[in-house]
Amino acid sequence: MNTHLFVNEMRLQWYEMRQYWFETLSGLFFITGIFLGLFYGIKGFVLEQGDGQSLDGLLLGFLLWTFATGAYGSVTKSVIEDTQKGYIEQLFLCPKGFISLMLYRSLSESLVGLVMLTVIAYAVMAITGNWLNINFAYFYGILLLSAPSLVGFGLMISGLALLFKRVETVGAMLTLALMGLVALDGLPLNIFTFLPFVPGASLARDIVLDQSLFRLDHLLIVMVNSLVYLVGGIFVFRAFEKQAKKRNLIGQY
Amino acid sequence: MLAVKELSKSYAGEPALSNVSFSLNRGEVVALLGANGSGKTTTVQSICRLIEWDQGEISIDNADTRSSSSFLKQIGAVLGGCRNTNWRLTAKQNADYFARLRGFSGTAIRQNIDQLHSALGLDEHAKKEVMKLSTGNKQKAALLSALSYSPDFVLLDEPTLGLDFNTVNDLQVIIKEQLQTAEQGFLVTSHDLGFIDKICDRVVVLDHGQLLFEGTLDTLKSRLYKYELNIELNQPLDISILHSLWAGRFDLHVDRQTIKVNYESADQSLKMLHYLHENKIQPMQLQIDSLSMEKAYQTLVQQKDVK
Repeated sequence: MNTHLFVNEMRLQWYEMRQYWFETLSGLFFITGIFLGLFYGIKGFVLEQGDGQSLDGLLLGFLLWTFATGAYGSVTKSVIEDTQKGYIEQLFLCPKGFISLMLYRSLSESLVGLVMLTVIAYAVMAITGNWLNINFAYFYGILLLSAPSLVGFGLMISGLALLFKRVETVGAMLTLALMGLVALDGLPLNIFTFLPFVPGASLARDIVLDQSLFRLDHLLIVMVNSLVYLVGGIFVFRAFEKQAKKRNLIGQY
Repeated sequence: MLAVKELSKSYAGEPALSNVSFSLNRGEVVALLGANGSGKTTTVQSICRLIEWDQGEISIDNADTRSSSSFLKQIGAVLGGCRNTNWRLTAKQNADYFARLRGFSGTAIRQNIDQLHSALGLDEHAKKEVMKLSTGNKQKAALLSALSYSPDFVLLDEPTLGLDFNTVNDLQVIIKEQLQTAEQGFLVTSHDLGFIDKICDRVVVLDHGQLLFEGTLDTLKSRLYKYELNIELNQPLDISILHSLWAGRFDLHVDRQTIKVNYESADQSLKMLHYLHENKIQPMQLQIDSLSMEKAYQTLVQQKDVK
């Protein structure tokens, strides 16, 4: 654990959130607003069918999607935005390596994201009156365990961004695709298990919504899924980084 | 010592650098000169390992930079344009961030940042994010970040681009102070040859990716003519007479009534001036210039065979 890098990234988060407090608050209101729109949009339809469980699922799915978007975007946002804002070359001068820096950035953004998620979760539950009995310790544990798969996936897309630059459209499509990923069931082992984050989202749903007991094999699947995507992401990013350095494309936009 | 040995790099078969070698010691300023596309930025980016080069070696204190990225702790860089800072943070926050990124923090670093922040004249803009600063102050913020952790070697790619005279002077003062206090080595690329002339000990001249010259400024100037005399007369002069008026090493060009002579020592011109005076030949214009860095560079590139 490199405390310098971790503290540095946490401080960066703090500086940006404090100096751009309006952006921070409006972001929170925006996400909450989107959910409320969704919630009240389908509430009547679901209640007509007497399926209260669907509303809980919607709420949890929304929280999972919010977290997944943040974890996936922590790396891609850095590569795409910092290329445009123009200081990505300086980030490549990190002695611990650009990938290490991105991993610490993802960790710090995910931790801050969890705090935000808690605020949003309580705001949404209070406004809708749909109180979920969430054990946040378990929930966050599962999310942090499955987040590396999204970071790895983000590294793959970021590698593409280094070479091909304008990948915002692909990134936006994948952000929407994450909605599908958090809705899929990847447990027990099936074809969806091999998609990033799907086992983690499934485990979170099982534990939080269905109050199921922890199963070691499910936990193991989540860990392997995370590890494979993270290692794969690092490998792919390194390959693209090498190509970008050969062609002098780092920072070119 | 930072040493670049036989560095070569090509893009799609087109050579950008061919066997370029030079060195940079702590406590000296070396200028990397060349026209656009001569390979200056490729060299700087190679030192930072932002580019994978084809052949050659870059080492710091005999350690190959490709063996470990820890050498980056010893490097500070202001890369081309304003591409060096997070525009959403203040200059000081940037300096603090980039020092920690290199693994440096603590009271000494904070004091160094405070000191440099004042010396660079950024105190009055302390609360402004970089995006709200002028071009010159953005450049100063980038310099603050590069110097914040006192790296052994500082690479400045076009640091004077877009800066006014006062800011360029401030930059010269800061670099000279850093040389005295921190014993840092500076590698500077710039088109501002007046700036280079004032701060650099040695120059490395690149042309189409090839090393044209490496040595001290004095050596460069001594290889070229030190003075240039331009004179326009009210009547043409016989060229054979003109030649007889000059001794030693000189280069004479005559175009009707306009005469241009490059020469080495001041007393070489006396004979001709005396001749004009004696024969009452009135000069319409007369100008003697000593060799500027800009002129030296231009002459060097034109001659290409000086080395």
